Amino acid sequence: MIGTLRIENLSKTYHVRQRKGLFNSEKRTVEALKDISMQVEQGEIFGLLGPNGAGKTTLIKILTTLLLPTAGHAWVNGYHVQREENKVRATVGCMLMGERGLYWKLTARENLIYFGALYHLSTSERERRAREIIRLLDFDEIADRSVETYSSGQKMKLAFGKALINNAPVLILDEPTNTLDVPSASELRAIVRQLNAEGKTVIYTTHIMTEAETLCDRVAIIDRGELLAFGTVDDLKASLKRDQVIRIEGVIPSKALAAVQSLPEVQQASRSAQNGGNLLTVVTRNGHADLPHMIEALTSSGALIQKITPEEVTLEDVFVAKTGRTLAEDTRVK
Amino acid sequence: MDYAQGSLGLKLSIVLASTRMRLINVSRYPGQLVLDIIIPIVFASMPILLGRAGAGPNASAVFEQNTGTSNYVAYMLIGASAFSIVSYAFWHMANWLRWEQETGTLEALYLTPTHRIWIAAGTALYSCLRGLFSAVTAYLLGSFILGVNPFQGDIALAFAFILVGLLPLYSLALLFGAVVLKVKEANALINLMQWVVTFLMGIFFPIAFFPPLIKVISLLFPPTWMTNGVRSALLGVGFFFGAWYKDLAVLWVFLLVAPFLGYWVFNRTEISIRRNEGMGQF
Repeated sequence: MIGTLRIENLSKTYHVRQRKGLFNSEKRTVEALKDISMQVEQGEIFGLLGPNGAGKTTLIKILTTLLLPTAGHAWVNGYHVQREENKVRATVGCMLMGERGLYWKLTARENLIYFGALYHLSTSERERRAREIIRLLDFDEIADRSVETYSSGQKMKLAFGKALINNAPVLILDEPTNTLDVPSASELRAIVRQLNAEGKTVIYTTHIMTEAETLCDRVAIIDRGELLAFGTVDDLKASLKRDQVIRIEGVIPSKALAAVQSLPEVQQASRSAQNGGNLLTVVTRNGHADLPHMIEALTSSGALIQKITPEEVTLEDVFVAKTGRTLAEDTRVK
Repeated sequence: MDYAQGSLGLKLSIVLASTRMRLINVSRYPGQLVLDIIIPIVFASMPILLGRAGAGPNASAVFEQNTGTSNYVAYMLIGASAFSIVSYAFWHMANWLRWEQETGTLEALYLTPTHRIWIAAGTALYSCLRGLFSAVTAYLLGSFILGVNPFQGDIALAFAFILVGLLPLYSLALLFGAVVLKVKEANALINLMQWVVTFLMGIFFPIAFFPPLIKVISLLFPPTWMTNGVRSALLGVGFFFGAWYKDLAVLWVFLLVAPFLGYWVFNRTEISIRRNEGMGQF
């Protein structure tokens, strides 16, 4: 039971006020989660993937007792999130809201000791844990400076460290590498792997698919409050035929991109700059069988094609195939 | 790990940790502590000087006729000092919740197994310490500057009224904090409340001057009894029920009722917010 999560038919709706001018507003109902069920096993690094506004944070907030679900049930470490909320809180370490969850006028050490008290640690235990975390984060030199003097990346790392203060069997990390530079993000992921190797279950939300691919044992893809896919990274990638993703290099003008996007067999097409030209990534329904149409659409719209390659399927491709959109799109319910 | 609510010792340790954290925080704004002392003196000086300007050399005599004491300077200083305690209670409790909500730390507090009431108690203790420091120092310094003797009357009884009045006051402040959390606006609400309180508790005048209905409303407010108790103990202006123990008993009734009311409203508000968008939405 310890180190596991179980979610059964979880739904969440809430009301928002949509402003209409200075004084008028209209009440609207938002369905943030729709009948989500899944299970996370002890010792896993489990990725919760989806674009901004997909419902990942709402799900995490329910699992950490910050929000009450509208329907359904969830258990963390075997404790029911509504009926045993204190036990859930005591057995989960959570990094949410990034650097915003810290007291900026206090030092890193003072923050850690204060939160240690709120997690019911004794005075000596708080100080010991704070020392351990400071060492783990390599914060020895800055631990006694007020947080407001830290860089954004240092604040994020401290927020991560705060999630470790109660040494919980389950760690829930909401986009922990946001605002971190590449080396810091890599360092943080290494710490996550180390903690996982020590036996902690990790729930890791991200909208960076490559991060999930390198870190997670299993993933769930969420979009617009719905669970679209669930399984190991390899299983999800295998669900998409390799030749469904085609990369076309060359000079691809906007008109050509639009022409490809308008083809009915094309699920998604996106263009990026590469080596002075462009790289067009296309997810098609029928793989190479769709190539003639695509080539015709491109060349008739002024594109110069240099190279066509079927590429390794990525999680991003799986997401695109499932939703018809890229992860860069914000799917927050308007 | 203690998954349950914890022992009383643990809860006290959390209260003290919360108080300590806020004291560390304010120690990084030292100018605030100076202002804490100056503001009540300036606040009391205005009606004192207005009284001298209006009533001239007869100010003391006229004031004694209406209030029972000729020491209008101490009367105003006590009112202003009591007001600073009340004002801090509302500012610190309501603004604490709003400030933590806006900076993002409120959700971090809700992630921990500590019930918010103990964190609120730590904030209240911090606020009490600041309020009492400000009120007592301002009263002593103001008395010195304005030339009156601060050490008169029954000082122990005055402190008894303050101490018994603090818990119902902070319970009401917690209730008010719940309203701020729901409405998501602190400054306007606290400003409004502050002036309503100033008016109702009679910081510069006896509430006997109120029309009957307003007088009744004023008497439903614990700080009115606290302020009058302190004035009666120090200046002999007269207890509402004629004897100190009767007035103190009324404050005890407030003390027994107000915490439950404050806790109940706060809890209800908390559940209602968690059912909707959550504490993090501001």
